[in-house]
Amino acid sequence: MDSVQRRAKKLESVVSISLLSILVLIAIAVLVKQSGYDMGRFGLTTETTSLKTEQVPLSSLAPAGFETLSEEVYIADNLYEKIDGKAPLYIESGFEKLFTSRFINKKDENLWMELFVFDMAALKNAFSIYSVQRRADVEILPDMQFGYRTSDAPYFVHGKYYIEFIGSSESDELFEAMMETAKKIQTNLPVDKAAHIPELDLFPQEDLVVGSPKLYLESAFGFEGFTNIFTAQYKSGDETITAFFSKKASAVEATTAFESYHKFLIENGAEIKAATNEALNTFGAKVFDFYGTTEIVYATGPFIAGIHEAENQQSAEKLATILLNKLNEAKKNE
Amino acid sequence: MNEQNEKNFGRRKFLTRAGKAGISIAAAGTASCLLYDAKGPPGQTVKAEQLVTLPDFSVPTVTGQTMSIVQGSDRKHTVTKAIELLGGIERFVKPGETVAIKPNVAFARPPMLGATAHPELVAAVVELCRKAGAKLVYVTDNPIDASASCFTLSGIRKAASAAGARVILPKAHHFKHTTLADGKLIKNWPIFFAPFARVDKLIGISPVKHHARAGASMSMKNWYGLLGGRRNIFHQDINTIIAELSMMVKPTLVILDGTEVMMTNGPTGGSVADLKRANTLIASCDMVAADSYGCTLLDLKAADLPYLAKAQNAGAGNTDYQALKPILGTA
Repeated sequence: MDSVQRRAKKLESVVSISLLSILVLIAIAVLVKQSGYDMGRFGLTTETTSLKTEQVPLSSLAPAGFETLSEEVYIADNLYEKIDGKAPLYIESGFEKLFTSRFINKKDENLWMELFVFDMAALKNAFSIYSVQRRADVEILPDMQFGYRTSDAPYFVHGKYYIEFIGSSESDELFEAMMETAKKIQTNLPVDKAAHIPELDLFPQEDLVVGSPKLYLESAFGFEGFTNIFTAQYKSGDETITAFFSKKASAVEATTAFESYHKFLIENGAEIKAATNEALNTFGAKVFDFYGTTEIVYATGPFIAGIHEAENQQSAEKLATILLNKLNEAKKNE
Repeated sequence: MNEQNEKNFGRRKFLTRAGKAGISIAAAGTASCLLYDAKGPPGQTVKAEQLVTLPDFSVPTVTGQTMSIVQGSDRKHTVTKAIELLGGIERFVKPGETVAIKPNVAFARPPMLGATAHPELVAAVVELCRKAGAKLVYVTDNPIDASASCFTLSGIRKAASAAGARVILPKAHHFKHTTLADGKLIKNWPIFFAPFARVDKLIGISPVKHHARAGASMSMKNWYGLLGGRRNIFHQDINTIIAELSMMVKPTLVILDGTEVMMTNGPTGGSVADLKRANTLIASCDMVAADSYGCTLLDLKAADLPYLAKAQNAGAGNTDYQALKPILGTA
């Protein structure tokens, strides 16, 4: 084989490889496009009627004197049909399935309730959705991992599930029935009982408002980059102060989040002011006047933390220092 | 010589093969261009001549009688007073006319949770229309949840029927496609059309609610119920879709109920703890103005809800409700 033939063969190989590469690229493009295929765009609907309620034994949860009227299961694709504009909140928080069941009193058809069991895939997600929707001035339910009641219904977390009820009226009879179902859920619905959220132990306990911790998985305080933020409220005289922190993957990541939040505050009209607490100054904490409220933010190890919109700077700085000490302890123990 | 032939043969062979490869690429490219369907599968889209447009149900403007705000806890009394302050129900409904009332019946939830229009309010408006001589009054909505359950559990089916209205639940044949002129999202999209096609007047009734996505759900968001198909895709651009709905629907009157306001966890709520009693009811011919006032009951400003400015810019109404000099009253 002479050099010309060899060159021709080489060129043919190059052309062939190029053609095959083009075909592969086309195939990848088709696959990428197909992965975002939206049936709704073409007026088609998804098939959900075949879904079974195998994960949650809904029919076994009916309280005494009630019977099951209907059962439904929703997935992320059709969750909006049940809760409309609230669906994105759940989906962005790890939602997997919603199981609902309506129970009606056998003697009084006007007495009914609906159970909502949201499978949020993980305890942390369930806690987040529970906490951000928690009503004010509620009574804590001590037998629940996280739970409270309003005048008309209980709300609680059971492992990876967030559970709520609605009732046809505010009545003791209906509330008792809801609690009976709640207890059945605790008994009949297996979850990882050892699971807990270690971050919640990092909040200082003194003056902590019971039941106040929240977890914002996304966009805490209106800042898009602020993810996985735990907050808790503290009593300081007549004032309530909100402390926050987030544990990042590394100290570098925490510092980046600190700088981003600092920038966000400045861009939105916050003004830096001097800290009166020397420890915070030494530590490099930033104190801001944010439209008449005090905002404090700092980073320590993998943690970004601070105080959000406090009325009184001194109380805010005091709490920020206590939180800082607690986080520094946690940092040492790691 | 022999060496030269082999050299020529090799070049010829290469050129032939390269030519074939080029033809193959050109053929594949041409076939792709010819077969490419830029519109995608036809699905439920319809031809332009089959598209429908909702009629304009608005009544002529009367200066100084565009909007009324009435304080009171009894919805029947407040709505009667609010309409009276705008010139009375006779201004809006003439004897022999057919009226469609579109309450917010989005969820299968009891009235005490404030997620849907209150049945007593719906019944009161039906009674007023009947009193004005309406030949027929329809009460209808296209709930997101199972429609029969929504109308039953919200108490609206029973209350509206008892007041003399005919309740229409959505059926597949009620939907027709529409395209909103200058619309970005409402293009060849199915809407709940049939119940509104032949009526003379249209009245919207909605509660004031917090809305996790839109900030607030009031008069304008109430028309979301007219959208068919997988309307949740519009949640990605909620401000534009609400503004477009305000362009698409020109109601006779809207009733905005702030007797009890859902302050948190909207639009579904789920507890009476989400509600705050504000004892306020608004009647308005300008739904942008009604919502601009209504959002103050949620401790919001009109500027907090981008869809209000968008609707105003599109000519659907006025965010400066005070410029309309709303008539105040108590009942």
